Amino acid sequence: MTVPPDRGVSRRSFLKGSAVVGIATTGLDAAAGAVRPTRPASFGPGQHEIALLVNGSEQKVKVETRTTLLDALRDGLDLTGAKKICDRGSCGGCTVLMDGVAVNACLTLAMDAVGSKLTTVESLTDKDAVHPLVQNFVQCDAMQCGFCTPGMVMSSLACLQKRGKPTVEQMKHDLSGNLCRCGTYGRVMEAIERTAQAGGK
Amino acid sequence: MSQHPAQDPSDGVEITVGYKALPGQQDRFEKRTVEPKTGDPLPWDANTQFQVVGTDVARVDGLAKASGRAKYAYDITFPGMLHGALLRAPIAKGKLKALSLDEASAMPGIAAVVALKEVGNKVRFVGDAIAAIAGVSQHAVRDALEKVRAEYEAEEHNVDYNVAEGAPLLDANGQVEDAWPEAKEIEEALGKAAVTHTGTYRTEVQTHSSLETHGGVAKWNGQDLDFWMSTQATFGVRGELARALQGRGIKVGTVTIHAEFVGGGFGSKFGAGIEGLACALLAHAAQKPVKLMLDRFEEHTTTGNRPGALMQARAGVDKDGKLVAWDWRSFGHAGFSGQGGSVAVPNYYAIATKPRREHKDLAIDTDPPRPMRAPGHPQGWFGVELFLDELAAKAGIDPLAFRLQNDREQIRQDQWRFGAAEFGWEKARAHQNAADARWRRGVGLASARWGQLGNQGRPAHGATCRVHQDGSVEIRSGSQDIGVGLKTVMAVLTAEELGAPLAAVNAIAGHTSDPSGPAAGGSMVTPSLAPAIRQAAYRAKLQLREMVAKHLGVPVGDVDCKNGKIGTGTAQLPWAEACKLIGPNPIDVRGERLANFEKPFHATQCGAQFAEVEVDTWTGIVHVTRMFGVQDCGLVIAKKQAESQVLGAMIQGVSYALHEQRIMDKRSGRMLNGDFLRYKITGPKDLPELRCHMHSIANGHDSVGAAGLGEPPSVASAAAIANAVFHALGAPVRHLPITPDKVLAALASKKA
Repeated sequence: MTVPPDRGVSRRSFLKGSAVVGIATTGLDAAAGAVRPTRPASFGPGQHEIALLVNGSEQKVKVETRTTLLDALRDGLDLTGAKKICDRGSCGGCTVLMDGVAVNACLTLAMDAVGSKLTTVESLTDKDAVHPLVQNFVQCDAMQCGFCTPGMVMSSLACLQKRGKPTVEQMKHDLSGNLCRCGTYGRVMEAIERTAQAGGK
Repeated sequence: MSQHPAQDPSDGVEITVGYKALPGQQDRFEKRTVEPKTGDPLPWDANTQFQVVGTDVARVDGLAKASGRAKYAYDITFPGMLHGALLRAPIAKGKLKALSLDEASAMPGIAAVVALKEVGNKVRFVGDAIAAIAGVSQHAVRDALEKVRAEYEAEEHNVDYNVAEGAPLLDANGQVEDAWPEAKEIEEALGKAAVTHTGTYRTEVQTHSSLETHGGVAKWNGQDLDFWMSTQATFGVRGELARALQGRGIKVGTVTIHAEFVGGGFGSKFGAGIEGLACALLAHAAQKPVKLMLDRFEEHTTTGNRPGALMQARAGVDKDGKLVAWDWRSFGHAGFSGQGGSVAVPNYYAIATKPRREHKDLAIDTDPPRPMRAPGHPQGWFGVELFLDELAAKAGIDPLAFRLQNDREQIRQDQWRFGAAEFGWEKARAHQNAADARWRRGVGLASARWGQLGNQGRPAHGATCRVHQDGSVEIRSGSQDIGVGLKTVMAVLTAEELGAPLAAVNAIAGHTSDPSGPAAGGSMVTPSLAPAIRQAAYRAKLQLREMVAKHLGVPVGDVDCKNGKIGTGTAQLPWAEACKLIGPNPIDVRGERLANFEKPFHATQCGAQFAEVEVDTWTGIVHVTRMFGVQDCGLVIAKKQAESQVLGAMIQGVSYALHEQRIMDKRSGRMLNGDFLRYKITGPKDLPELRCHMHSIANGHDSVGAAGLGEPPSVASAAAIANAVFHALGAPVRHLPITPDKVLAALASKKA
């Protein structure tokens, strides 16, 4: 497990004394060229404005010290792809990439994400350009209700970036933090496999 | 069959029903004479050549979901929107003695506080809702909840089914000890049987565990309420909310429910619930939009569950292995209401005597059950199918041979044979585990059944079809797509009937401003709406044909709509050109869900599933290695989405068989594992190799012939896995979930 640099104390590490769940990737430099915002010098009670580097652009959002990255993305920036399902890091529905590493946004404090490059599921689809992984999720019908799907897509992306052509066991391992109640795991793995075969990351 | 309607079909038309042979089996076709209703297209049948129906089309809202842009109720926001949450009772039984909301109301950022119980009201379970608060942020609300002063008068509670009122006595082996009620005929039949068997089976309470919790966003505009709700019954919750609000003296104009995307329901989301009412009340009090979504613990403990069951069977077979006697009784695990714990059992295993089925619900002080995917079935099928395997083993008969001998459904007879060949049953069943092997392999099978040919509605359900001059088509239903693929089904049926490109069709579902449709329950939506959708498209087609005929100067009776072209012979217009004739006001028609024809090919849906397990005899851990399912759902409309439902049901079956159980703390009455860390559901690493075969049948019950699919594939899976475990161990585990302790106990009992 690789812990990205300069991350401060996450909610999980604060509570459990362990490092943030994550896997190393070969890096997704969505924010290349942008200046990294810095964290405020001190935090007090009440709301603070911070700047997050999300999908390549700096965005201002008001948070409390206790606000999670997930709540900041959803309530502050209206990026609602990441979902709060368990709120305890046990389902992966809130998975985003932080400096290229898949993290549970519900276990990450928003203030600890200042200075990191954040990638959310929304960045994979533009008007004309749809990431091959997202296309393959659609083609393989790797979803039913779709509520876990954004988290699945982000964990799958991290898996592809880390491994290139993952084996079935590697896919199961990398997806093992993601839960789906409808039962779409098999087709999610098909989507990863198809993307890998076409060389897409 | 011609696409064109008879002017007066009252004499009836002949159609072909049935199905093409499953590989290695026979064709099963029959002729039927049906009488299409006036205004309905001629029915599709076994000879219809489809262009879109039954093909591999992508889910029409797939990109919205995979891109994260789909807006679920939980994702809806408005400027100035408030967040809401509920205060829940910490005791399992008693009364609310005092309630003060003043301090909470005065907290910073709090906009509305509503009492949901009055002093003196009963508290019925841990989690009963007491009050609701709305404020500017989730944090502000959480802080305010801590300032509510509620006092309770606790009474003695019970959350243990073993000591619930009316619970039967069990012996040291967990078998029901109470004598069977007298039944002369059954006793006689058992007396004559060559081999008899008896056994007690248990299942635990399972929670629905939808990933999107219950709740939504309420927004008032004067007396009109718009509610974006995570629901599987848009029209049901509309009525429920309107009544409940009026009951509290609130003047209600129009209530419109929006449920365009729903993050799972599985039977738990038929009602607006106390959270829905609270959200609407808070929004009304604050005069601002309010979002109220339950948290994971509330979802596990206050939104229903699949009840556990205690079941006992006794039966006998004659010397040829034919069932000649059967007796059954069950006890359902209900909540405080004492209802909803019922168990269903298969009715197609032919039995000479009149079978008896007794059932009693046991009440305890918890959240009551709600329907969950095939209510009553997975528990009952587990009990019956494992019991039958035990009986067959006693009689020295292979489980497959036993089913073929006793199952009276022709469709499933074909499925048993086909499935067994496809799965490699004979070879896998013959596998002998070495006596000292750590890993033991086994295979099992089980049947599935459901009976859903559509709710014909009172008044009839409908669908709206609009064809615009730019070539785009809208097909609309107020029913909701909770993930089964309703929108895809709507688009496929519309494109098929209109001969329009699939990409031109926009399917819109989930707004009660559109035509009425059923709740997503009982596998009802597709079979109920399919004929209405087809009829709407058909009526639009009639209008378009007339415009094209006039434009081309050809007789309207000759004009056909197919493959994106409209016309006849060499006089054809491409779809987009034809639609230009429409003008600024679209073709705008409504289709209705008319009554079914009288004699369908088959009244129920059949399925069969096969499972292989590997059991670690050291740790007791069971791993399902592969499963195969064959499933009938009448006409398969959207193949990939149908398969997804079957595969997903099998994964849920693994979860039910091996993992899921609500664990209650007797002293506090509280659920101990109300989260996804301790309430285990099947994850990616538990995934077996899964395959399914959609058994498409021309059922001839209406103009489309679609039957229910949501429930049936979830009936068999846990039973097939339990049978595989029995095969692997040589001893049955009669209590779901099949956790390591029970596996080790079964192994020990075998040695003893």
